[in-house]
Amino acid sequence: MTVAGESASADSAGSTNTVFGVPAGLLAAAASLVLIGAFLAVVYDITNVVGRRDQFVLLAAGTLALATVVGWTLRPRYALGLAVLIAGGGFAAYFLALPESQVALLSPERLLADTFALLSGLSALRLLSADVWALAVTPGPVFLAWYLAVRGRIAPAVAVAGGGLGLFVLTTDASGTLTLLGVGAGMAAVGLDGIDRFGSAGGQLDVLTVVLAAMVVLSATVTVLPGAGGSPVIADGGVAEQPTVEASLVSADDRISVVGSISLSPQVRFEVQSTSPDYWQTATFDRYTGDGWVRTGDTRDYEGGRLAGPEGPSRLVRQTVTPATPLDSMPAAWRPVAVSGDIENETLVTQQGNLRPDRAVEIGETYNVTSAVPQYTAASLRRTGTDYPDEIRERYLALPDSTSDRVRDRAAEIAGDAETPYDKAVAVEEWLEANKEYSLRVSRPDGDIAESFLFEMDAGYCTYYASTMVVLLRSEGVPARFVTGYTTGERVGGDRYVVRGLDSHAWVEVYFEDTGWVRFDPTPAGPRQDAESTTLSDARDEGQTGVDTNETNVESNETEQPTTTATDTETPTEDGNETNVTPAGGSPPGPSIDERLGVTPTGDGAVDDDEGGGLVPEMPSRETILVGLVGLLGVVAGVRRTRLPAHLRFATAAYQRRTDSPADDVFRAYDRLELALEREYRPRRPGETVRSYLDSLSRVGVDERTRQVGRLYERAKYGDGVTRADADEAVAAANAVVRARLPLVRRWTD
Amino acid sequence: MTDAHADADFDSAPSVEAVSDLATRISENVERVIVGHHDAIEDIIVALFARGHLLLEDVPGVGKTMLARAIATSIEGSFERIQFTPDLLPSDVTGVNVFNQQTSEFEFREGPVFGNVVLGDEINRAPPKTQAALLEVMEELQVTVDGVTRRVPDPFTVIATQNDVEPDRTYDLPLAELDRFMKKIHLGYPNEAEETELLGRVSGHHPIESLEPVASAGDVRDARERILDVTVSEPVRRYVSRLAADTRARADLGVSPRGSIALVRAAQARAALDARDYVVPDDVQREVRSVWAHRIRTTDERAGRDVVERAIDTVAVE
Repeated sequence: MTVAGESASADSAGSTNTVFGVPAGLLAAAASLVLIGAFLAVVYDITNVVGRRDQFVLLAAGTLALATVVGWTLRPRYALGLAVLIAGGGFAAYFLALPESQVALLSPERLLADTFALLSGLSALRLLSADVWALAVTPGPVFLAWYLAVRGRIAPAVAVAGGGLGLFVLTTDASGTLTLLGVGAGMAAVGLDGIDRFGSAGGQLDVLTVVLAAMVVLSATVTVLPGAGGSPVIADGGVAEQPTVEASLVSADDRISVVGSISLSPQVRFEVQSTSPDYWQTATFDRYTGDGWVRTGDTRDYEGGRLAGPEGPSRLVRQTVTPATPLDSMPAAWRPVAVSGDIENETLVTQQGNLRPDRAVEIGETYNVTSAVPQYTAASLRRTGTDYPDEIRERYLALPDSTSDRVRDRAAEIAGDAETPYDKAVAVEEWLEANKEYSLRVSRPDGDIAESFLFEMDAGYCTYYASTMVVLLRSEGVPARFVTGYTTGERVGGDRYVVRGLDSHAWVEVYFEDTGWVRFDPTPAGPRQDAESTTLSDARDEGQTGVDTNETNVESNETEQPTTTATDTETPTEDGNETNVTPAGGSPPGPSIDERLGVTPTGDGAVDDDEGGGLVPEMPSRETILVGLVGLLGVVAGVRRTRLPAHLRFATAAYQRRTDSPADDVFRAYDRLELALEREYRPRRPGETVRSYLDSLSRVGVDERTRQVGRLYERAKYGDGVTRADADEAVAAANAVVRARLPLVRRWTD
Repeated sequence: MTDAHADADFDSAPSVEAVSDLATRISENVERVIVGHHDAIEDIIVALFARGHLLLEDVPGVGKTMLARAIATSIEGSFERIQFTPDLLPSDVTGVNVFNQQTSEFEFREGPVFGNVVLGDEINRAPPKTQAALLEVMEELQVTVDGVTRRVPDPFTVIATQNDVEPDRTYDLPLAELDRFMKKIHLGYPNEAEETELLGRVSGHHPIESLEPVASAGDVRDARERILDVTVSEPVRRYVSRLAADTRARADLGVSPRGSIALVRAAQARAALDARDYVVPDDVQREVRSVWAHRIRTTDERAGRDVVERAIDTVAVE
């Protein structure tokens, strides 16, 4: 960078190396800015979800401006001190902003543990006061990185900004695309800095292009590391298999990313014996990010005894769960208050009140859970007020700053007339059931999930229904949250239920004063059960293992839904939406197995039309085209690097057609000769004459005959011209020299 | 000079081979006296053949006078030496009319400028007016005193030296006058072997005393005519123009068209020395440093050479 002076004066005496006419130093600084931008974009997304977005934008712009000014004026020593001061001040502000209850818990071990958790994949979104945290971490690295870039110290600048971005890669907050952009920009910055310092001789630019292209293409096509359980990394082009509903919803993860098309797994997961059928809840999520859900707060150990139950009246339900495959969650009816069994000592309790195992629960490792299931009626819920506790308000009414007005307008339209929170919830639930089709085959929308589902999509599955319902309720001031788990499963006599992967589900809980959390399920039950039972029967037809226990697949068994048996007491769904009981062995109409299991990749949108119409035919993937272009660019640079064009050009120099002009023949003969010498020794420099070029090469083996061509060239060009005989001599000499260096041609012509 | 050109007998004009041979004879003869400095001798011959004058910048005592004398003797020409001092008058250079009492007429007494090879020693010690007198002769090849014009002998070549060790007592030549010199070269000190050889030669009689001519002034005149006919093709002319444009882009004051003309002349002579009837870019490159470096005005003189070197490196040869 020219303003820095330091790198410019380092060598090459003031001459600036350029890339496509732009000073390389300037480009390097620009690439650093892109990397810093990637870092800022991640924090922007965080603040968008957790709040203080506008403050963040101001802060980031201010920091960049300050760094620019300081970069021009202040020496590195003082600037470094300033950076430390800024970073330290940020973190001090974060700790001051933490609620007192949390500060009381602060201890060195705790801080260490938190840091470790953050670095090993804990999303920053899960931090308490994540908004303040984001504002605290931003200025330090941004200031230092941009300051260094302005000073022309590209490498340290990239290290600082890359470190910042790297932190968010570890916390999983940085998306793949942003990470790639950041890493690519950092790479480009360092490479351009090298060109700035040492010039682009030796094809530096080509190498840089090849490396960048390889990074983009490889990261777009090759998945070396499997995606984490709860957030499948699915390339939009559909390279990986489609995830199952279960994998995307039910696991120990603290975060759910909504994906595109999804399939159902017919495998039996566990068997539960319960005094009352229910939905088996595994996790609850409070923070909506626009593209998924995050569970905030820490877990604590279950230390025996009885956990707090719901605020209102409840009755105890005892469940005995026997895993059929290792489980990394602990399904239980809401709200679990006690656990017993081997896993008891390794049970964690989330801040939302769910249980989760500290390790996988092994096959056959039975445990007992006691749940206090809330008791309520529609009438009792209608009577509750809206004087919610502050904690509920803060956590369960928050929406991303980017939530659009049309979502809020639509929410008001749907639930505006309802007077009580309960009526609003019912209104939203019914509206969703009535207006959206159930389908497992959807393409992941680009923007906000709820907004896309409301306005652009005609169909979706439980995640879309539940997410949208929560967003609509929250924008109407009704506290709600996103819950994942399993539906009741297949009843196998008496009080036992077999639960399969395809029973995994997402639904909504709404908070009511004096009652606690109450379940609402906006997903139309009929189509969902159809899809599930079709999957099951198909799997049976195909003879898959692990689909049945000894007791299932008996004609008399019913896939019993809790809503059918407990409508009056438990679930406020009033109509018969979920009474649609399908015989397990039946073959209800529906999409063929291939489509539902998602054998066809999402990107290939040709067969979508029978799935309820309206699906926008997918772009034959902009990304694929983009990746292809980048790859092509890399290939071009690589080809340049291998000097293939030079080889081809040289091959064409093997022959020469004689013209009427002896002088032209001599010129062409000399050009061919020079091409051959260029390949073997070195090219002629711009200010080097033909004579001195050949003279210098004669010291390393150019023969007299070759030099004679040079003399003829001189005579033709500067002197009194050449004769036909001279021209023939030159052409013959050139033929000999060129063909001696082309083994194949030599063989033909000898 | 146009007169001389017209008078030339084209049938008897020597071939370029003969010009080359003449140059070799002169330079070998001079080298019997001067040890080393082969390139400088060639440079002087080029200037002599290309009707140019030469500026030597050196410390005293490296053999400048001897070199000029040896050249003059080799071509059987007259040698004159003018020691420039602060009190030297223009008439001390050009000559003066004196009254002859026997004939009662003014007769012209030739100044030292009337010689085939004139050594102007420490030219920067004389006041500007005296410098100008010499420079005028260099350009006009004639002396005008009291309304009468007299031609200096042909060939006429001035070898001027500048003393750069006592700059506080000198009148630096203005750039416009430096431009009159075709070339500026440095002799520099002889190396150890050369100096040993030199001391061996001068221990007895100085060899200059016994130096014999190897050519006549007429041979030099013929060579000068022949060189005018050496072909300068368009690519070469274009190359020179581009070099000149490059210096103009890089220096406060680049090379004037006069400088470009001088370069083409010198390159023609260089081609003839190489027994070639046409100029190649190599001739241009060989001459451009000594012909141009002193014509470029930058912050210091070294940078003038750098400008030329850079032009050679970057301007593409056709």
